[in-house]
Amino acid sequence: MTSLVNARNVSKNFGAVRAVDNVSFEIEKGRILGLIGPNGAGKTTLLKAVLGLTDCEGDLSVLGFNPFKQRKQLMQNICFIADVAVLPRWIKVSQILDYVEAIHPNFSRSRADELLLQTSVRAGAKVKELSKGMVTQLHLSIIMAIDAKLLVLDEPTLGLDILFRKEFYANLLNDYFDEERTILITTHQVEEIENLLTDVMFINDGKILLDSSMDALSDTYVEVLASGEGANKARGLGPIAESEMFGKSIMLFEGISREHLEGLGELRIPSVADLFVAKIKEARK
Amino acid sequence: MIAHQPALIRRELWEHRSIYITPAAIAVIVTLGVLAMLMLASGFAKELDVAIFGAQNLAGDGERRAALTGFFVGTSWVFLVALMFLTVFYSLDSLYAERKDKSILFWRSMPATDAETVISKLLTAAIVIPAITAIGIWATHLVNLIVTSIWVSAKGGDAGVLIWGSVSILDNWLAALIVVVASGLWMSPFIAWFLFVSTWAKRMPILMAFMPPIILGLLEWIVFRTQYFLTTIGDRGDMRPLFHSMSLERFFEEEQWREGLDNISLLQHIDLVGFVTDPGFWSGLLVCAILTTAAIYVRRYRDDS
Repeated sequence: MTSLVNARNVSKNFGAVRAVDNVSFEIEKGRILGLIGPNGAGKTTLLKAVLGLTDCEGDLSVLGFNPFKQRKQLMQNICFIADVAVLPRWIKVSQILDYVEAIHPNFSRSRADELLLQTSVRAGAKVKELSKGMVTQLHLSIIMAIDAKLLVLDEPTLGLDILFRKEFYANLLNDYFDEERTILITTHQVEEIENLLTDVMFINDGKILLDSSMDALSDTYVEVLASGEGANKARGLGPIAESEMFGKSIMLFEGISREHLEGLGELRIPSVADLFVAKIKEARK
Repeated sequence: MIAHQPALIRRELWEHRSIYITPAAIAVIVTLGVLAMLMLASGFAKELDVAIFGAQNLAGDGERRAALTGFFVGTSWVFLVALMFLTVFYSLDSLYAERKDKSILFWRSMPATDAETVISKLLTAAIVIPAITAIGIWATHLVNLIVTSIWVSAKGGDAGVLIWGSVSILDNWLAALIVVVASGLWMSPFIAWFLFVSTWAKRMPILMAFMPPIILGLLEWIVFRTQYFLTTIGDRGDMRPLFHSMSLERFFEEEQWREGLDNISLLQHIDLVGFVTDPGFWSGLLVCAILTTAAIYVRRYRDDS
């Protein structure tokens, strides 16, 4: 496996506030990593450090470059969508394509034109004349026409309706992602991307609470739906979180094998959202 | 650094259409004004016949050339005033608007550095806008010469003598080009200051650009009862080293024109060598470089998102 992003003891302070606190992680090639955290957790700051938009303490290498000092080289192999509103409203679709074609060495104009033909975005239209969903389609078409090694998406579907959100991720998976490409994504709509992810990272108060592949997640975490004696026995094994639903206890276990929990109740793989809530609550105790 | 500049400057022209719409609008207004004057003059047929006869037979080449050069200078001033306003407003908006509409995040997602971007805006303000202004001046001059020729011919005059035999096109056009391009370079410290304010101000960049010098000037006057600071800024406006050999006060005086009627030339009033060897030219470029570096630094390190 080749490591595309390598962070060692990365920190970032804004005055007295420690937005990112001594985090270390790696992102391998061909993975889709979901970076998940509550508001103010440090997700965007960490993404900005990866994109070279802000400097940071510690060692951070992206595609072998120091992202802050070698931004130009980095940007030739990396793309990002910060949110849907960042495309300039005054520009025409054809102009933005002309601009990217002139500036980006890895941009394929024919590919972008091809992708836009599948949408209702007209080349002569100005961005301000497009709906929010169409702006996203335009941005995604540009991004997908760039032969980049790393794609960073920060809340890319914010403010879009469910149809556009589904279409966005479907296009991303079907027309863009392959084993040569890596995607780093943050979103509040965890449920929608859960099935896309190969890896997940939870961040809270600038610290990483969890960094795991989705495969390892199902081995490490088990949810037990139990009642009565089974629930009491399960409780004795020390769940990291417990909640009640329809008179049954739902307990989340970490690092306890399925064999140990067999017979105590119904065993389930926890959703990323449930796991996220449990880990955040655990961290705030 | 240079390879991206054509695309970045083209981007500026897309975003700030006033860069070419303003000179075009002035060209149309000036031409309409000239047309109106010609139509007005047509109402005085008798006087017109005398004037055309006099201009063609009694006046010399020098006087006709002086009249046409005076007309050229007059229309060019309108463009120069517009150039000043255009440059100020463009420079103040160029790095502010991208932060305001958050499109800076998109521009910074492309492999163009902050230095390339800021320099493209400096080049647009200091070179491209003046160059487009020069084209506007030339085009207006040419159109008005053609219009006037047609009118003169229709009124029985000889346009070949009155207009085309008397106008100093090369002299006028070259002088206009030198003046507008030199003005961009001479005013570059102000342009760089506006760019810096544009990338630094959180709101109302126009206020942020003009208030500090005014406050500094007022403080100087209150404390020392002197006005060196504002006088220095104000004096730069007349581009003295470029017009070293010319007395502005005497430029339009009739006697001044009569002294050298046979050799009316705008270029002879321009001291290009004196301009580029003047310490004020180089110190201005140095201030421009410092403020541009500061603007690049602020764009690079500032986090507005």
